[in-house]
Amino acid sequence: MPHLSRMISRKVALWIFALGCLLSSARLLVDTPGVNQDDDDTRRRAGQRFEKLRESLPSRGVVGYIGRSEDGPGHYYLVQYALAPLVVDHSARHAIVIGNFPNVRAAALPENLKLVRDFGDGVLLLANEDAP
Amino acid sequence: MAIASAAILCLATGLLVVSLGLGRGFGDASSLLLRACLSAGFGLAAFSVTYFLARVSGFVWLWRIDLAVFAILLGAYLLVRNRSTITVTGSNHHQQESAPRWLSVAFLAALGAALCSAIIRALGHPYGSGWDSFAIWNLHARFLYRGGVHWQDGFSPLIPWSHPDYPLLLPATVAHFWTVLGHETPAVSAVIGLIFTFITAGLLSSALDILSGRTSALLGGLALLSSPFFIELGTWQYADVPLSFFILATLVFLHLQDSPGMMALAGLAAGLGAWTKNEGILFVCALLVSRLVARTRHPVSSNNGDPVGRFSSVWLLFTLIPVLCMVGFFKRFIAPPGDLFSDAPTMLQKLADPMRYWAVLRWYGKEFLRFGNWLVLPIPLLMVFLYFIFGAKTRSRANPRLQASALALGLTLSGYFFIYLITPYDIYWHLRFSLARLFIQVWPSAIFLFFLKLGPELSEVAVREP
Repeated sequence: MPHLSRMISRKVALWIFALGCLLSSARLLVDTPGVNQDDDDTRRRAGQRFEKLRESLPSRGVVGYIGRSEDGPGHYYLVQYALAPLVVDHSARHAIVIGNFPNVRAAALPENLKLVRDFGDGVLLLANEDAP
Repeated sequence: MAIASAAILCLATGLLVVSLGLGRGFGDASSLLLRACLSAGFGLAAFSVTYFLARVSGFVWLWRIDLAVFAILLGAYLLVRNRSTITVTGSNHHQQESAPRWLSVAFLAALGAALCSAIIRALGHPYGSGWDSFAIWNLHARFLYRGGVHWQDGFSPLIPWSHPDYPLLLPATVAHFWTVLGHETPAVSAVIGLIFTFITAGLLSSALDILSGRTSALLGGLALLSSPFFIELGTWQYADVPLSFFILATLVFLHLQDSPGMMALAGLAAGLGAWTKNEGILFVCALLVSRLVARTRHPVSSNNGDPVGRFSSVWLLFTLIPVLCMVGFFKRFIAPPGDLFSDAPTMLQKLADPMRYWAVLRWYGKEFLRFGNWLVLPIPLLMVFLYFIFGAKTRSRANPRLQASALALGLTLSGYFFIYLITPYDIYWHLRFSLARLFIQVWPSAIFLFFLKLGPELSEVAVREP
C-alpha cells in the first residue's frame, strides 16, 4: 500500500474521491420518493381514523387496546400516537378498551367486552364489564 | 407571525449563547457560517431546555420565559463582549487557500442533491419515516404539548416500547414551537429535522475551513452530503442527526481555541448531546475519559496553550454539569428505568459468551462499509484510500488534541459495542435496526477529525494545483 502514493498522483486521488462521493449523491437523488408516493403512510400517521373516537374518550388516563394478533405492533403504536395524551395499554384489562381492526371485520370479541360504539373502518369503542 | 417571531427569538438566543463563548472576532464567510450553524443548533436546544423547565415548574407563560432567557443572555453578553477576542488556533493561513475549482463544483452538486432530496422527502413524509419518529420522538412531543399539567403521563411504564427514558431535546423543542403556534403541525418536526441535517454539514465544512483549509472543508462536506443515509435519517425526524450535531460541535470547540469560553461551549454541547439521546451520555463519559488519558500522556506544567489541561476542563465541566443535572433529574424523577440493562448475572453471562463478541465484530465490519447507503464506493473506503495517498507524511506528527478527540469517538464506539454485548434483545435484531444509526451519530465527527489530520497535505495540493 505505501507504493500506492507513488502510483497515483494526489490530484487524481482527489478526483477519484470526489467522483465516488458524487455517485452516492446521484443515488440519493434517484432513490428519493415522489412527494405523493406514500400517501397511505401519511394518512395513517395523521390519525384521521381515530378523530371521532378521540371525542368519545376521556381527556386523560389509561385505556385498553385490542387488535388482531396477526397485525404487527405498528397498528397499536399508531393508535397510541393518535390518542396521546391518553395512555393506551396493550391489554383489555381496562374499563375502556379500543378495538382496532383495520381492513378486516372484527373477530369474535372476548365475552367481557361489550361494543359501545362502532366508528367504522375497524375502529371500535368497547367496555370491559369485568374491569376493576 | 408567531412562528416567525419564535424562530427569530430561537436563533437570537442561540447566537447569544454562542457569542458568549466565541467572542466577537469571527468575521469571514466561514466564521459567519460556523456561527450561524451553531446558533441554530444551540437556539433549538435552548428552546427545549426552557420548555422542559417551564413544564417542570408549572410555569405557563412560555413567551415570558423565552424573553427572560434572551434578556439574561443579552445582559451577560453585553457584560463580557469587550473582554473576549478570538484567536483561532491551528492554521489560520489556510483561510487564504483557494481550493481547486472543480472541487467546489462537486461540493455544490452534492449540496444541491442533498437539499433537493431532503426537501422532497420532508414534503412527502411530513410525519417522518420509520417507526421511531411517531412511536418515540413525536409521541413524546404530543404528550408534552397535549398533556397540559399531566404531561408526565407520557412517561408511563405501560408503554415501554416508546422508550419513555429517552431524553427530551427533540420532543421538547417541537412542543415549544407547537405551544407558540397554538396548534400542532407536522411541519415543525420536519423543518427541525432539515435544520439539524444541514447545520451539521455547515458546521463541519466551516470548522474545517477555519482549521484545515478550503480543500479539507470541501472534501469533508462532500463526504457528509454524499452519505445518503445521513440525509435520509435527517428527514426521518429521529434524534440521531441532532446528536451527531452536538458531538461534532463538542469536538469543533475543543479544536478551535483553548479559551475558557470555547471550553464552556464544548461542555455545553456535550451536555446537550446527553439531553438528545442516551448515547450522548456515553459520549460525555468517553470525552471525559479521553481528556483524562490525554492529560496523563501529555502532562503540562501550566495551562497556557494546554488543550487537555486541568483548568480548561474546569470550564468544560462548568457548563456540562448543569445540563447533566437536568438529564439526571429527568431520569431520576420523571422517566422510568431504561430497558438495556438487565440483572448483573445475566449481563455477565452474556459478556462471557465469545459468540456475541464475534457477532458484534462482524456487524461492525460489515456496517463500516455500508452504513451510509453509498453507491459502489463506500466513502470510508475512499477515505482509507486518501489516507494512503496523503497520510504518509502526517503519520509521524503527533497531535495530542486530535488523539484525544479520536479516543473519545473510539471509546463511544466501544461503548456501543458493550451495549450490544449485554442487550436484552435479540442481538441480531438489535444490530440490524440500530447500528447504522449509531455510526451516523459519530460520522460527521469522524470526517472532521480525518480531514483535520490530512489538512496540511491537502492544502499543499491546492497550492500547487489550483
